[in-house]
Amino acid sequence: MKKYLELVWIILAALTLFAFLLGYLKIISTFFVAVLLLSTFIKGQLVIDYFMGLKNISWKYRIIPTLWLGIIISLIAVAYYLPIAPSQ
Amino acid sequence: MTLKEKYPPGDFAIWIIIYVELITFGLLFLGYAFSRRADVALFNESQLMLNQTSGFINTLILVTSSYFVIKAVKAITSMSEESVAEANAKASKWLLLAIGCGVAFGFIKSAEFYHIFGEGIGLSTNKFFMFYIMLTAFHFMHVMLGTFILFVIYKKTKIAGYLFGDYRGIETGASYWHMVDLLWIVLFPLVYIIR
Repeated sequence: MKKYLELVWIILAALTLFAFLLGYLKIISTFFVAVLLLSTFIKGQLVIDYFMGLKNISWKYRIIPTLWLGIIISLIAVAYYLPIAPSQ
Repeated sequence: MTLKEKYPPGDFAIWIIIYVELITFGLLFLGYAFSRRADVALFNESQLMLNQTSGFINTLILVTSSYFVIKAVKAITSMSEESVAEANAKASKWLLLAIGCGVAFGFIKSAEFYHIFGEGIGLSTNKFFMFYIMLTAFHFMHVMLGTFILFVIYKKTKIAGYLFGDYRGIETGASYWHMVDLLWIVLFPLVYIIR
């Protein structure tokens, strides 16, 4: 019997624990923010594909939440990494 | 090769609602991320007042509830004409677990709000808390609505109301619930972790 839903849940839980540990152990750095954002994209895409059930749906509908996720996470990265101009 | 379905699961109207909700929350997420740039120190300092552990537990609760909901959906969509009662009974058990998760999320979030408001923090305290309260309270309302929707679906499964070929209702409610989960998956690292 296919156990892919269980595997998806395990990955989601593991990546959530990883995110929490980064914050809890206060080891969040510019490098880890990138890793964290990537892991957030993976988590979101797993929910879109396997829980929302869009993996085997026409690309027209699957692409909308995937694009949303990619754009939002990319722009969060831009907001985080773009140098801040010194105040006058 | 798997043949692709033409339309997403559930009623098509729910997908319009989902896309609109994603855009609305997306703008709020970006509002938070770009506002942070104006005063990084204030955002980092204010963030320390949040309880990361409750944010973490609530994330685990939501992803687990999504797992329970998809198990309920699979129980219904894989039924045969002979196994209607059995499939509904199986789905109702999964849905009850998911509803329990929704209620648990509500309690933990309420405790967090109680603590924050007890400290005298409100929407006008600073920009960080304005975004924190708006984002999490708005999301909280979605969780409560989602829990109610799951309860309505649960009631239908208890009377074996889902028949062979009749999956639209449960798929519609489940899609809404997964959207609530998806939004929190972005919200948690953005507001609680990234600094």
